[in-house]
Amino acid sequence: MAEKLVGVNYAPPDLRAKITGRARYAEDFRAQGMVFMKLLLSPMPHCRVRGVDDSRARRVPGFIDIMRASEVNQPEGPTEAMLTDEPKYEGEPILAVAAESEEACAAAIEAIELDLEPLPFVLDPLQGLRPNGPNAYTEGNQFSGQDGWSTYKWTDADFAEVDAGRMPNPANPLVEWTKGDIEAGFAEATVIIEEAIVHQSVTHHPMEPRSTMAYWENGRLHAFVSTQSAQRTKMGMAGALEVDPEEITFVSEFTGGGFGSKIPGHTHMSLAPLMSRKIGRPVMHRVTRYEENYIGRARPGFQAWAKMGFRADGKCTAIDLMIVQDSGPYGAGDHNTASNIADITYTPGNMRYRGFPMYTNTPPKAAQRGPGGAQINGMLEPLIDQAARELNMDRLAIRILNAPTVEYGMGPRSQRMTSTRAKEALRLGAELFDYENKIQLSGQRNGSKVTGIGLGLSTYTAGSRGYDGLMVIRPDGKLYVYQGIGNLGTHSISDTARPAAELLGLNWDQVEIIWGDSSRGMPNSSVQAGSQTTHAHSRANYAAAQDALRKIRAIAARQLGGNANQYRVDNGRVLGPGGSMTFAQVAQRAIALGGEYDGHTLPGDLNAATVPAANMHVGTGLMGVARDNFGGEGGIYSWLAVFGLIELDVETGQFETKELVCATDVGTVVHPRSLGAQCYGGAIQGMGMAMSQRWVFDPQYGVPFANRLYTARPPSIMDAPRSMAWDAVGIPDPQTPTGAKGIGEPSVGAGSAVLTTAIADAMGGRCLCRTPLTPDLIVAELEGRPLPFGRLDQHVG
Amino acid sequence: MHDVESVGVLEKKYSRRTFIKGVIATGATVSSANYLFRGPNILGAATLQSTTERLLTLTVNGQERRVDVLPNETLAMTLRYKLNLTGTKLGCDRAECGACTVLVDGVNQYSCSILTHQLRGRSVTTIEGLENADTGELSVVQQAVMDEGGFQCAFCAPGFVMSMTAMVANNPNVTREEARVALSGNLCRCADYDKILNCAMRAAELARSV
Amino acid sequence: MANMKDMIPAFDLVQPTTVEDAVDLMKDAGDEGWVLAGGLDTFDWFKDRIKRPRVVIDIGGIEEMRGFRDEAGGIEIGAMTTLTEVANHARVRSEFGVLATAAEHVATPQIRNQGTLGGNITQDTRCWYYRSGWPCYRAGGNVCYASAPLAMNREHCILGRSRCVAVNPSDTAPALIALDAKMVVQSPRRRLYDAEDYFIGPSVDITRMTVLEPGDLLTQVFVPAFWANSNFYFEKVRDRGSWDFQLVSVAAAFRMSGSTIEDARIAVNGVAPYPVRLDAVERLVRGEAASESLQNAAGELAIQGTRALRHNDYKIVMMRNLVRRAVRSVAA
Repeated sequence: MAEKLVGVNYAPPDLRAKITGRARYAEDFRAQGMVFMKLLLSPMPHCRVRGVDDSRARRVPGFIDIMRASEVNQPEGPTEAMLTDEPKYEGEPILAVAAESEEACAAAIEAIELDLEPLPFVLDPLQGLRPNGPNAYTEGNQFSGQDGWSTYKWTDADFAEVDAGRMPNPANPLVEWTKGDIEAGFAEATVIIEEAIVHQSVTHHPMEPRSTMAYWENGRLHAFVSTQSAQRTKMGMAGALEVDPEEITFVSEFTGGGFGSKIPGHTHMSLAPLMSRKIGRPVMHRVTRYEENYIGRARPGFQAWAKMGFRADGKCTAIDLMIVQDSGPYGAGDHNTASNIADITYTPGNMRYRGFPMYTNTPPKAAQRGPGGAQINGMLEPLIDQAARELNMDRLAIRILNAPTVEYGMGPRSQRMTSTRAKEALRLGAELFDYENKIQLSGQRNGSKVTGIGLGLSTYTAGSRGYDGLMVIRPDGKLYVYQGIGNLGTHSISDTARPAAELLGLNWDQVEIIWGDSSRGMPNSSVQAGSQTTHAHSRANYAAAQDALRKIRAIAARQLGGNANQYRVDNGRVLGPGGSMTFAQVAQRAIALGGEYDGHTLPGDLNAATVPAANMHVGTGLMGVARDNFGGEGGIYSWLAVFGLIELDVETGQFETKELVCATDVGTVVHPRSLGAQCYGGAIQGMGMAMSQRWVFDPQYGVPFANRLYTARPPSIMDAPRSMAWDAVGIPDPQTPTGAKGIGEPSVGAGSAVLTTAIADAMGGRCLCRTPLTPDLIVAELEGRPLPFGRLDQHVG
Repeated sequence: MHDVESVGVLEKKYSRRTFIKGVIATGATVSSANYLFRGPNILGAATLQSTTERLLTLTVNGQERRVDVLPNETLAMTLRYKLNLTGTKLGCDRAECGACTVLVDGVNQYSCSILTHQLRGRSVTTIEGLENADTGELSVVQQAVMDEGGFQCAFCAPGFVMSMTAMVANNPNVTREEARVALSGNLCRCADYDKILNCAMRAAELARSV
Repeated sequence: MANMKDMIPAFDLVQPTTVEDAVDLMKDAGDEGWVLAGGLDTFDWFKDRIKRPRVVIDIGGIEEMRGFRDEAGGIEIGAMTTLTEVANHARVRSEFGVLATAAEHVATPQIRNQGTLGGNITQDTRCWYYRSGWPCYRAGGNVCYASAPLAMNREHCILGRSRCVAVNPSDTAPALIALDAKMVVQSPRRRLYDAEDYFIGPSVDITRMTVLEPGDLLTQVFVPAFWANSNFYFEKVRDRGSWDFQLVSVAAAFRMSGSTIEDARIAVNGVAPYPVRLDAVERLVRGEAASESLQNAAGELAIQGTRALRHNDYKIVMMRNLVRRAVRSVAA
């Protein structure tokens, strides 16, 4: 019997390269005659470039050329360009310089004199909503493709409410939806919890800055890129450069993290190709951590008001949610997702959402792991505990009561899910955590230390449908799986091939994964975002494997006699009534037969981008190639329940996370160790977001200061929980053949919520209702000292 | 001390024995322009570059490597861009993330924050130097990572592996809590810290059995 | 000149092997020289292209500035001894534990493996306005950005401000004050400073953190035996468990006679442009038992005269609590 591959731990095939120095990330590629490129970043949060004097720069030995904003596409409206003459945030690239060495690049940039006209700027979106508040753009603060720019403000009366600590009721919300009857919902409620809550904006800071190397050879672009996705990023780059995607050799073998900031690549990845085209030399654009802080994207911050009603039995009956979002200069969709996730997590049935996405002159925002959901779960979970406290109810029980079943539809359109095991995840986590006993420790004081128990529940998208799988069994008897997905470290490149290989009865050493280089063929793929890859590509590969299996059986029946469906596969052989053949023999036979067997004929429903990839492998063996036509209805969402125990030192405001338990609903578990790592890693990222990571702007000058790792403070190994455990509910999703959903996104919100709730618990139920929960804020609250800033101020501390 | 030559203005003042001029000059002329150069010198790199000979012998992964190094060049840059040892990563270039960690005489240090000229006569080990060059056998730490399936994006991995290598050499009886401290100069943004500690403990176990 | 924060600008590197030569070279280079010890503060300045010396004097090759020398009256530690060596040294650990503990709290293992004791106490402030190259008082300008009404000054001082509101970032500095250490400075004249006098505030010289003037070299730190084997306390409150400077830290040495505090030395850092010795608190606790009321009184006395900026009122509470805890550590 061939080995079992699904649900079994294994070392991913790229691991050895990663720990021997052989793995090449974008900045590790070299080319003959390679030169360097650096960016000149705007020193102001909003300004107009009136003039550039580069005469001294041009005299720097080694200087090659300059690229200005006029040489790159300048889209209309609030859309990012690679270079700009009207920077909208401090750190926005104005121009690029190429030189023979990095030293010369730096010296040349420093020698450039800029003539800048400062323009008004806004950092805190609430300030931008004030009647006479500044706008992020000279043209206004709202943009629509139809009507162009306009200006949207609240009234003095609205701000009187804000300043009094109440939820305002502004006219004409920018986004609004309702479901059910919110007034009836609140009328039904015994307890109403209302809070104003601030969630900070935090940078992604993946370990690998977004460097690019590129050169052109006979009209073909060779690009080495740091990106989460691969095939889709290649298409994006082709679009940005207006070249035929088949004229790009796109290489992204390893990517040092992205967390949403490099989904389809990123705006500035096309600068090195452009500069290379301009100067006719290979160009290395090594992005520094300092630049990454600016151009590397950030999670949008929220300033929100939430009102939640609860029946006497603890059931949430109404939510009235309002979010002002810091959208940065180029927009973000987090707030919309947040509203939907609030609905599905607490199932009020009656909900109103009002959203105010506001452009600001802060570095660009983008999806960050669990975008929207991670913020809102961390923000609202302490409110659930407040309700439990007022109703004298158990904190776990109120969550299980309010958690959805598959019957509940999310958001204004009541979108249904393929499977929902939220309650099961909560129960499983409670058991693993020993909740019944641990909750007894809540509030216990030992010296200056108080125990706090945290609970968090979070959900997020975990799949998508309709992509293609491509694989070939070659005459060496091995299965070659061609992946168009990126390799950002989640092990998806191999995890998504395991169910397919298992279907084909192969041992893992009979499988080769090919990824990261478009010259080896990349089928149409999803972007590596929204935790969709495990679901989407285990399906796509499964479809291709089914196609391969059908062809294997057909060949066996042809060769050996009998009926094709009487043949089964095992250990690299096909066996049936007429005897057996090795896959090597099958592959040879497929090549001899041609037609669909070796890819000369392709299925008619393949996505267009898959065809050239498949064509690269025509005649090399038995080809399995298919579109994921498994279908399915509804959204694909995974769930994570997280439990934690902290000890808060009430004299210093410091705390230590002693225990963390994750229980997840991801359908079938494909790769346990990797799943556990996603749960823990995401949870710790969420904890970092809640406790230490931050971004601070000087409001007078409009510049961000926490622009270094030590000031931005992502969590270190010392901040990780002392003991961790995880488990999965393990009930397959009924609408996907592999049963597997993704993970990755929901862990962040749950991790954040564990700390926001545990800290409130250790403080006797008091919710600070803002992040980050740094020692200064905690100790000030405990000592009854006033907050040094406005209740809803953003980017402070 | 190794053989050094110092010439120019400074040599006249200081004896050869007690004074090493970091930037070694060939022949008899370190241009006095080097010393007379004054003021804001944004063009300085190029000016000095043209007048200074910078050949240096470094011991890297047990081999002597002759390399041309600027006085203001960090070890990370020399490794990555001169010696093509790109396993050492630049995550921050500011001694904050640990991706560039190498061993200097067995001690883990941030190669982004050492001048290559400070390493004359010392031995540097990078991630490329851990595997047995002849047999391809992995080091105990590398083997431990394979066993435990460590790391996600792994941009931090070379640095962590180097810190673990120093750690198990210092103390193969390390506890999990001590390992946490020993590895606290390396950042993992995937926050795969639990698996990383599993790798560290497995590495210590393998080191003890060697 | 456009903003560029990458790549170290060119300099000339000299690597003396004796203190005498180093001091001569420093004198020669004058204002255009820069002494390179562990380099962890240095390279930040260089890569930000803010400090641009013509000559860099690498003192890493001066053997006489490394290691430990046992003396009758105490222990002499070379300024170029790494923090790891300090933290691991048997006699430091057993007799002067507060210094070993403080050294262990510095940043990260790699930084401790390279960073030196001399560098740790001589490093520049981390005020982010100043470190960003803004032309503030400390940088030779005529404004303090960090004390502006809207400024972000959570990490700044509550004591000792004088135009500048930055704080000293060193972990070992308060420990050395608690140990009554002496700093040996050569220039070429050899001078000795009490640890607490080594650090200066902006009212003395706004551009420097220590007594060292151009041409001065800290060569050794001498820790006298007087406070050996005392009851020590060290604590550092920080945002993150690794690679972080203190919000507030405290180091204390208590000589006990039974449950009575015979003598004490207490210093805090992170609250002023220099580490602050709390001599009034020391006087208060001398001859007393560390009762709860004494702990509280010590805490209250410690924060007398503190004045918060907009964002750092919490430091007053934190400082009070840490001093309380230090005294509490010797309660019966």
